[in-house]
Amino acid sequence: MEDSDHPARILLVDDEDYLRNGVKRILQIEGFEVETAENGAEGIKKGTEFDFDVALLDLKMPDISGIEVLRMIRQARPNTICFMATAYASYETAVEATKLGAEGYILKPFTPDELIHNIEKGLQKRRLILEAERLKADREARLLELAFERSRLNTIINLLADGVLVINQFGEMVYYNPAALRYLDLDVILLAEEILEILPPEVKEIAQRMISKEKFEVMGESVQFKLSSNPDMFVEVTCSPIPDHDKKKIAGIVIVAKNITQFKEIEQLKSQFVSMVSHELKAPVAATIGFLDILLNPKMKLTDDQRSDFLNRSTARLRSLLTMVNDLLDISRIELNTVKREIVKIDLASLVQETVEMMQFEAAKKNITIKFSAGEIPFTIEADRLEIERVITNLMSNAVKYNKTDGEVLVSLKKKGAYIILEIKDTGIGLKPEEKNRLFSEFFRAKNEFTKSIHGTGLGLSIVKKTIDYYSGKIESESEYGKGTTFRVFLPEKILNK
Amino acid sequence: MNYEKKILLVDDDIDILEQNKILFEAEGYTVETAETSNDGYEKFLTFKPACAVIDLMMEEYDSGFVLAHKLKRHPLGKKMPVYIVTAVANQTGLQFESMTPEEQEWINADDILNKPVEIEEILSRISDFYENQSG
Repeated sequence: MEDSDHPARILLVDDEDYLRNGVKRILQIEGFEVETAENGAEGIKKGTEFDFDVALLDLKMPDISGIEVLRMIRQARPNTICFMATAYASYETAVEATKLGAEGYILKPFTPDELIHNIEKGLQKRRLILEAERLKADREARLLELAFERSRLNTIINLLADGVLVINQFGEMVYYNPAALRYLDLDVILLAEEILEILPPEVKEIAQRMISKEKFEVMGESVQFKLSSNPDMFVEVTCSPIPDHDKKKIAGIVIVAKNITQFKEIEQLKSQFVSMVSHELKAPVAATIGFLDILLNPKMKLTDDQRSDFLNRSTARLRSLLTMVNDLLDISRIELNTVKREIVKIDLASLVQETVEMMQFEAAKKNITIKFSAGEIPFTIEADRLEIERVITNLMSNAVKYNKTDGEVLVSLKKKGAYIILEIKDTGIGLKPEEKNRLFSEFFRAKNEFTKSIHGTGLGLSIVKKTIDYYSGKIESESEYGKGTTFRVFLPEKILNK
Repeated sequence: MNYEKKILLVDDDIDILEQNKILFEAEGYTVETAETSNDGYEKFLTFKPACAVIDLMMEEYDSGFVLAHKLKRHPLGKKMPVYIVTAVANQTGLQFESMTPEEQEWINADDILNKPVEIEEILSRISDFYENQSG
């Protein structure tokens, strides 16, 4: 085809050599590229194979008539402009050729000017046709893209975890996704349905106010509430006004509803934890101040024994406060993952043995026997020594503290697969079934007639659990109230993915 | 109206319990102490105090409320003041300021006081209580 860097291509079909060659020369001089065919069959072959800009077809040829050649070319190449060249033209053939889409007749004999004039006209038409084609194709492509874009957007909005609901300035539903029904407590809504009345009251109030505003303002408004149909679900709904085309009035509102149940739960856990911490920190301070107030009160007639007892108890409370603060810092370091660890190979048997010896003094106060048994095989793990020592100390000190007078603590090491199992079994107070679930939570301490004189922060087991979790281990407990508790710690021999 | 100077203190912190015991004894009171809600209720039945001072957070966050409720529902408890003391006035999620009338009705303690308790304050409240009763 003709374009800026290629001359127009013209097919010339004629059985007469002199005419073919003459015309070819004229056209070549004009700068066209010319292909020739000396009969109808060759004309059809060339004219259908290639998309010529213009074809000049002799009407009367010995093998196939020019009309037939025209039909075949027009069928295969509807944009090739075809002229019929003939010395005689009947009305019938003219009509037929025009029906088949011929551009015109060029009567033989023709002057070079006549020929060029017709060819130029044909080429102009061809340009227009091709431009129209291109525009049409462009438009179709864009429409397709638009439709695709729209459906993709629909899919995205439908899959959004958040609910999206759009209403117009009359409060009629324009668009929504399935999550909107869930989080706005709606059953079914219809397109163009008046829905303000069925929205949750918290949302209705905002939407109504927004719609009734005269002017558009870029101002979203949010509200948090529990669903009346499901009080366990907390949602946050944000209403944002949509401006009309000149941004003066409100065209509608986009309502986005988010499920914030989990967020609320975490928020509540956080404030519970803060209140627990403050309570636990306040108690020893209050007790110490109480003792000091009494000691300083001149009206109080205290014996020397009482005085030293109160001072000792104050010191003990302050010491436990310090331990608690340190434990809290440790827990937060573990949780924030800012613990500095030095991972080394640890011989667990000797570490347990050291801890057993350290505990003997405390155990002797209640005449408790600690027995430690381990096989001959090495029990090595890769971990931070201080951290593991703390796990063993915390568990062992619980086993002693919560034991009965003349009780026993049985400590053993075993190997199972890639894990070392440390078992610490006591003959102590044991846990009630309801206490077992709370065993590893911060500040939990079993409270009953046996434990009232035992001091502790309620953070020891929480630290143990968090440490073991860090090393991808596991802790199990078995307990019977009044009989004793067994803790089993599984630690991997090789540190995993750290 | 005359009342026997007998007071019941319920708190799970034995140090606090002992301090208050000494302080009330210095004011001429006979003191009975309990470290748990259950023990507190038992002692209330046998000791028949003129007043009970109960710590809010013991076994549970609201143990004090539960015990106060039980005491106030008992014929003996109706005629004596019950005070709840707490150091965590608005940290427990139990916001006293916004307590509904139903909740107040249910708890039914005569007052909720901040910890540490001022002995003088409790003493004057006790005497006010019994003066109003006789009047």
